[in-house]
Amino acid sequence: MSRVYLSSITKHYGATIAVHEFNLDVNDGEFVTLLGPSGCGKTTTLRMIAGLIEPTSGHIYFDEQEVTYLPPPARNIGFVFQTPALFPHLSVADNIGFGLSVKGQKKEMIQGRIDEMLALVDLSGYGNRLPAQLSGGQQQRVSLARVLATDPRVLLFDEPLSALDKNLRDTLKYSILDLQRKTHKTAIYVTHDQSEAFAISDRIVVMNAGRIEQIGTQTDIYLHPQTPFVAEFIGANNSFVGKVTHIENMGEAARVAVAADGFTLYSNGYARFKEGEEVLVYIRPENIIVLNDSEGSSYDNVVEGVINRLIFEGAMAQLRVDVGGREIRADVSGGQRLTLIQRQGKVRLGFNDVTLIPVSKDVPL
Amino acid sequence: MNRRLNSRRLGDILSHAYIWFCLILFVTPFAALLSYSFTGSQGSYAVQNFQYVFGSFGNNLWWSFKISGLTLLLDLLIALPASYALVRYPFPGKQVLFSALTLPLYVPGAVIGIALVLTYNFTYHLTSSIWGLVMAMTVGTFPLMLTPIVVALKDLPVAFEEAAQCLGATKWQTYWRVVFPLIGPGISAGLLLSFIIVFNEYLVTLFVHPPGVTTAPLRVFNLVRTAGLLPTTAALAVTMQLISFVAVLAFFRIFGTRYLKGTYLI
Repeated sequence: MSRVYLSSITKHYGATIAVHEFNLDVNDGEFVTLLGPSGCGKTTTLRMIAGLIEPTSGHIYFDEQEVTYLPPPARNIGFVFQTPALFPHLSVADNIGFGLSVKGQKKEMIQGRIDEMLALVDLSGYGNRLPAQLSGGQQQRVSLARVLATDPRVLLFDEPLSALDKNLRDTLKYSILDLQRKTHKTAIYVTHDQSEAFAISDRIVVMNAGRIEQIGTQTDIYLHPQTPFVAEFIGANNSFVGKVTHIENMGEAARVAVAADGFTLYSNGYARFKEGEEVLVYIRPENIIVLNDSEGSSYDNVVEGVINRLIFEGAMAQLRVDVGGREIRADVSGGQRLTLIQRQGKVRLGFNDVTLIPVSKDVPL
Repeated sequence: MNRRLNSRRLGDILSHAYIWFCLILFVTPFAALLSYSFTGSQGSYAVQNFQYVFGSFGNNLWWSFKISGLTLLLDLLIALPASYALVRYPFPGKQVLFSALTLPLYVPGAVIGIALVLTYNFTYHLTSSIWGLVMAMTVGTFPLMLTPIVVALKDLPVAFEEAAQCLGATKWQTYWRVVFPLIGPGISAGLLLSFIIVFNEYLVTLFVHPPGVTTAPLRVFNLVRTAGLLPTTAALAVTMQLISFVAVLAFFRIFGTRYLKGTYLI
């Protein structure tokens, strides 16, 4: 249990900047996820917290102790890798006991701890097996047990589920969360998978190109993306460039009209814009409703278009609609998606939640 | 249908013939040596040719084993840290250094011999003890020890070492508890290759052996040179061959092909 505090951490590799001025304060017992595409610097940041990489500048603290240049063995951390990285020549029990054994603990104490950890990850009785005799999911659970056995101050996860299949990922991510809650460890988790991050985190740090784009809870990031990158990364696929034409009311009740690509779109609750200001407009595919002919009046925006394509993906169907020369994507779930398969030609779409982001906030790429 | 069957049969016969041809090509010289070693005077069958093996030749074998053992030890002591540095640490001139270290592989034995006489004998006078010979053998077999260990280390994911360090292991503990056992296949392959070379090497020994030390292959060489090829000498040669053969067999028995292939890691 530790508070982890990163202050202007920067890492350069020659001329490339892997991480730039990274500031983060993780509370005791908090579960924070670094989320971003590959190459965004999230793993580099995690490895600097572990001590596997030294930062070019900045400071890292665990509670009051500065650990910036301490080697990993001196930090008392638990690092779970992408691969389980279990020592293949040691039994499951010896793997779990490794951390205590290198610290010179007594044999009986280690054995007790091994049994406790095996029970914790639900693998009692597997102690004598070799890692190769376990499934991928079991191996990753052993690596969790191995890390927890040393009672680390901080748990660090580097995409621990990415090598597993989807069903296993879904169950194991909740096991990770349960273990973290049970042991009250501070956890920092790295992933590129949005749903994984949303499922287990207390707070999410969205990263791009070595910088923090936004820090917030799931709802902060989903409902109020602060930058175009966050909006697009979290799945707002329909984007327009537009200009604010007029604003009705003020404050919470404001209603902003935006002219974008020949449409006029209305967004509620945004009062931080001026008329004439350029904005980026995002509409999430899952917020778009396919309307029956009689419906429509209750939506801020109703547009009409022609179905280009319907892609049936199982639980969801992706509808591509040509609206005045612009393709808009709508994700349809429930029974409606099956009736749409037969449908040809014109369709009416309704949506309320339109996200506006000022163009000036755009980070130059 | 019939014709296809016939052509298939012909193919079978040809491939069998090819395999037998290869076997005969490789095995004949050894078979000839073996039968010659049992030949007595007037072409009779003579087991007593092998009595020399347990006589003065035993001494030569003992020297060979002693020099092989010391050479392997020295090889390993240098190759373990060298391979780790070569694979895990970036430094300028790494490729050049690796090429320089493996140079003895490409240089003819006689050239190495002359070079060693020049440096060890004339300059440093090392050849008065067996250490000169051991060092010469180490120079010659070092690439055979180094290369398989380098390959094994390159195949070993860094994650194992990082995991050990994050669990609190020092560099030293990480090496002995994790890296060393996991590069076992490379180490054992290096040991086997080097042993076979050192044990059977006569040319380098000829150049730098100290007075009074005659290894088994050197003894065979000397006998052939001075007395011609006698069945008793052939008996010594066969014994040496058996020892090398047993070493290879023992290697596969102890470590298994699985170990040699390195699938142990997965």
